[in-house]
Amino acid sequence: MVEEEEKDESRTLRFSPKLLELLAKFQEIELEDVDLEVDELELLIQPGAGVVAPAKAVAPTKAKPTKIIELDFKPPIMEYPGKIVEVKIGATKSEGGTRGKTVTIGGEKFPAYYLFEGMMPHLPVLSLDVFDTKIPLAKPAKMHVEDVLEDPAAWAKRSVEKFGAEVVNLHLVSIDPMVKNTSPKDAAKTVENVLQAVDVPLAIGGCGDAHKDLEVFEKVAEVAQGERLLFNSVTLDMNIKRTAEAIKKYGHVVIAFTAMDLNKARELDRRLYEILPKEQIVIDTTTAALGYGLDYAFTVMERTRLAALMGDPELQHPMSSGTTNAWAAREAWLKMDPQWGPRELRGPIWETVTALTLLLAGVDYFMMMHPAAVKTVRDTVAELMNTSKADASKIADWITMKI
Amino acid sequence: MFEDIPVGVGVIYEGERIRKPDMYIEFGGPDIEKKFELTKVKGLDNVRDGEITIVGPDLKDLKLGGSYPFGIYIEVAGKQLEPELEGVIERRIHAYSNYIEGFMHLNQRYDIWIRLGKKSYERGVDSLQVIGKVLQRLFKSELPIIEKIQITFITDPKKVEEMWVEAKKTYDARDAKARGLKDEEVDSFYGCTLCQSFAPTHVCVITPQRYANCGAISWFDGRAAARVDPKGPVFKIERGELLDQSKGEFSGINQAVREKSLGEVTRVHLYTAFGLPHTSCGCFEGTAFYIPEVEGLGVVHRDFKGATVNGLPFSTMADSTAGGRQVDGFHGISIEYMRSPKFLQADGGWSRIVWMPAVLKERVKDFIPKEVVDKISTENDVKTVEELKSFLETKGHPVVQRWEAAPAEAPPTEEKEEAPATPLAAVASMPIASGGFKIILKKARISAKKMVIRTVKKKE
Amino acid sequence: MESTPKKELSPIDVYKLLPKTNCKECGEENCMAFATKLVNREATLQQCPPILQEKYREAFAKLWEMLKPPVKEIVIGSGERVAKIGGKLVMYRHEFTYFNPTAIAIDVTDEMLEDELLKRVRDVENFTYPYIGQNLKLDAIAIRSTSNDPERFKQTVKKVIENTKLPVILCSFNPNVIESGLVVAAKNKPLIYAATKDNWKEMAELALMYDSPLAVFAPNDLKLLRSLAKTLLEFGVKDLALDPGTVPNEGLGGTISSFTMLRRSACREEDEVLGFPLIGVPLVVWSNSKDMPEISSWREACLASMLISRYADLLIMHSFEGWVLLPTVILRQNLYTDPRKPVAVQPGLKMFGAVDENAPLLFTSNFALTYYTVASDIESGGVTCHLLVVDTEGLSVESSVAGRKLTADKVAEAIKTTKVEEKVKHRNLIIPGRAARLSGEIEEATGWKVLVGPLDSSGIPKLIQDLKAQPPKA
Repeated sequence: MVEEEEKDESRTLRFSPKLLELLAKFQEIELEDVDLEVDELELLIQPGAGVVAPAKAVAPTKAKPTKIIELDFKPPIMEYPGKIVEVKIGATKSEGGTRGKTVTIGGEKFPAYYLFEGMMPHLPVLSLDVFDTKIPLAKPAKMHVEDVLEDPAAWAKRSVEKFGAEVVNLHLVSIDPMVKNTSPKDAAKTVENVLQAVDVPLAIGGCGDAHKDLEVFEKVAEVAQGERLLFNSVTLDMNIKRTAEAIKKYGHVVIAFTAMDLNKARELDRRLYEILPKEQIVIDTTTAALGYGLDYAFTVMERTRLAALMGDPELQHPMSSGTTNAWAAREAWLKMDPQWGPRELRGPIWETVTALTLLLAGVDYFMMMHPAAVKTVRDTVAELMNTSKADASKIADWITMKI
Repeated sequence: MFEDIPVGVGVIYEGERIRKPDMYIEFGGPDIEKKFELTKVKGLDNVRDGEITIVGPDLKDLKLGGSYPFGIYIEVAGKQLEPELEGVIERRIHAYSNYIEGFMHLNQRYDIWIRLGKKSYERGVDSLQVIGKVLQRLFKSELPIIEKIQITFITDPKKVEEMWVEAKKTYDARDAKARGLKDEEVDSFYGCTLCQSFAPTHVCVITPQRYANCGAISWFDGRAAARVDPKGPVFKIERGELLDQSKGEFSGINQAVREKSLGEVTRVHLYTAFGLPHTSCGCFEGTAFYIPEVEGLGVVHRDFKGATVNGLPFSTMADSTAGGRQVDGFHGISIEYMRSPKFLQADGGWSRIVWMPAVLKERVKDFIPKEVVDKISTENDVKTVEELKSFLETKGHPVVQRWEAAPAEAPPTEEKEEAPATPLAAVASMPIASGGFKIILKKARISAKKMVIRTVKKKE
Repeated sequence: MESTPKKELSPIDVYKLLPKTNCKECGEENCMAFATKLVNREATLQQCPPILQEKYREAFAKLWEMLKPPVKEIVIGSGERVAKIGGKLVMYRHEFTYFNPTAIAIDVTDEMLEDELLKRVRDVENFTYPYIGQNLKLDAIAIRSTSNDPERFKQTVKKVIENTKLPVILCSFNPNVIESGLVVAAKNKPLIYAATKDNWKEMAELALMYDSPLAVFAPNDLKLLRSLAKTLLEFGVKDLALDPGTVPNEGLGGTISSFTMLRRSACREEDEVLGFPLIGVPLVVWSNSKDMPEISSWREACLASMLISRYADLLIMHSFEGWVLLPTVILRQNLYTDPRKPVAVQPGLKMFGAVDENAPLLFTSNFALTYYTVASDIESGGVTCHLLVVDTEGLSVESSVAGRKLTADKVAEAIKTTKVEEKVKHRNLIIPGRAARLSGEIEEATGWKVLVGPLDSSGIPKLIQDLKAQPPKA
């Protein structure tokens, strides 16, 4: 039996009335100069019941460590057989367009922000939504653009200059036959106006009507030839062949959109590959708001990215997210009991948390609404990518921090 | 595509019902004996594309509110078409007919029941030509492998009767052929990823003798779908080599599942619930489950409510096999597979089945071998595994022979010197072994220079 | 890339090691049923009295190994309210599901005035938000000793545990302070935060003496963290929780990386030394004392969300703002939803706007995503109507029609149980466009007149508008 000395002066032991309880925990205790005064002391001695056995049921018992056992830590780095393609959006003068800058997304060789496996090749792109006609917006979002709601060019300009949009998503909702039924020609004119108003690349959103979207996309693609616009989006319900051909002919890129179904995403990509090279396709598997399906969105995206890295040849694309959908959550826009804070904070934080969650799933292209959310995501990404060794000392004493 | 058609055409009209007072005319249905719809694949030279023929009176010439015998005869041609695909194409007459506003089509083959609503007639659907046009356009746009299509509507009662006989012969021949087709005889199978599921690594392998888990797609359906839409959710799997006849292992299938599951699943045995069973997604019609006490398999289908003989309901067992996993002893299946001669053949087929819901038994009764059909219990015969055991013994179910053959269960292990770490979290609930003694000191004062207290290990 | 094969466990593998007595003491009909439940994590080994016997020791141990999660489950607290943290079987929720939602602890200090202290404790305990039939709550109180005074700490701890049933975390790096807290709180099995390279031995002894779980803190040094964990395990401490350091700002990347590496080490590399729950401390954002409280709160909400996504099993937070905690508890609930089971809402009759007996009636499935989308479209379109939520077992309209879970009979049943015929004068039912196939059958089964609605619920407002202009014949 190995003896262990517990010196009195260490004062790590106290005697409490529940003497037995304490003593039962230890294998052996040795005390010096002991004085015990008891009313009744019951010592129950049992054959080793195995009730509280030492870690290893092997005699003799092991010594307790007296100093830290030095172990190594090997970062669990994995090699991935697959890689995400890179997609460029926008074109400068020398490339046939008129943009001052372009953006590139994708290229990942490991999952999102697994920084122990390498550096993320590109920063995610933060784009802001602009609509070509007045639409109902939640108050916290509306207040920043109230005066330009009916002027897409001005709205786009503000998004870039004031809110730091790297790309402008121009949603041509007015083309919807049920809204204004704007003609492809007029829609193309709006696109031209916005192209002139800003220097950044442009993404063009349709209205959801398969036929109309196709007509308008074809016209816009032609008119904006060379600009390498991002078309949002092509779906399984549309005439995929025609859409892809227009994209190809005029040198644009497209978002392949499916409703949270990996198999459908693969199918859509398969069909697009007949016409388009992979580098012209971005995947969007749908974004649902925090509290209203975000977990589905997150998991489908995470699975998509992991499958792609594991070699699935039909999913190796950068991913986009309609993060503005976060505003569909009632908690984002509803006036709630004061306990839940003002909408002015709740709404933007709703969009922000939605975005950050999906950032960690691998989203490369964010379509957003609120400037505060955009700024937070940008700052967060900058922090994540900061390679300087962080100073842990400032948090080492967090317990005693006075707030 | 349908601008010239006087009524709407689209999916939203699919479920329409036309009631007797609202109908202009009825074809087939329960009051008419002879009615049929038939599709035949012909050579490209034998089909006149776009032609619509009416043998007998047209709608205008028939009495308002009347019921008449009827036949639809569709001839199609195309390089990729084969007679095997006739049934698949024929089934679409039902769907496409229903897309027409005010036109109702129920059932199939010699059971069809068709009604045209008065309103649609008044709006201009006054000739079967209109129906024919819509059908042709839908067939060609949805199934581009159809290069030529010709439709004949028969309303002449004598002609209907004549052709009905031919049609019946065709149906019978098809059924015989379909059932006779063996897995070993074909050179390709079909993989399907249609399930809306949380198992995107799962793929159903559809063979002539093993229907898709959902029960909706036969090998012929798969073949047609893959032809029509090679980039779609159903794709061809080269069968490769037959590696194991009894268990149903094919090298082509192994390859396909390996690719599809990104290496998770590398081998599949088609006809067994043990070892490397075919995976399931989430929409299978039923589950086969192992009942170890009787060395047999139970089968339960989705609609069965409540606990099965082993105390678990369908849903709990479904959880065990869902999600694209290969789980020994739990296996998602379709009801049609139960009618197949290859049904769980590696495990003993029907002679290994010991329990199934009564209503399910009725459905597949004709395919259960006579010698075991009465020895398989249902919820009406037994409610627990104990009862099941007696039942099987009494009836002399073949599975009883396995009970003698199986080795006795290993006795619970004695405690060994090198026993692995004692279970830790169970500490609180572990019973305290008896033995030992007590020392009781009352009103004591103990002074000691040194006090050592240590626990003593029990001598082995 | 899957981290463990635990999900491939077959009930048969488990069954082979069970006593096979079919004694039913576990509450199941027979051992096979119990084995199935064990594999699905709907039952625990402890529920089987026979297997706890000596003679089954080896089988028990084998089963334990087979079933034990790569990340150990630690229980903090005792009695009515405990916080179970860890117990994770997989790294990614889609591989199976997550268990034990991240516990959220709110801090108090031992220098707070009594009123303030008690109010905060009460508020934390009473915090609740009703969401999809659950009440989302907070889970623990983290008592920080800012005074570093053992007596002060002891008093605070005493007051806290007298006023709440919530589990507590005793926060101090000073073993004397911790000990004084343990003296009064031992019965409550608090989490001791934390052992470091400087105090591990004393903390270990306290942990053993008071049988309390012990946190390990080694900021930005995974080698040290692992070494400490090993040392403590060898020392005899069984229940650990690991804090690799939550470093905000420029430390964010490293923090996220650390959490990821630790979880992967436990789940994929099966490193038992690191197989313990992870602690995140969003509270650290408050160290930027120059920031306005709103900014710190905002940053805390963001950091908390990222840590929940990246494997934190316990969070220690400071902000008590509703707008910070609401997204946090909802995100947690979302990520810990079992992805294998479709989320369903309660079926029944929902009313939107000021409905009367003439308001239109629509129906939809009870798949949560569908329901919320439809409800949202109705609300944002300002539509006044009744919405009948039919039980499709959590499947969407399209799926449930295809899977024959949404049938005309189901709709008829829903109409009957909700007694909607007493609430509405007309008999016009608007059905989802994707259920068009059932229109005729529904008319027959219910006796109502069916109008096929749009394929997407976004078209509902327009449809209702059109109907108002041209009402259907009754």
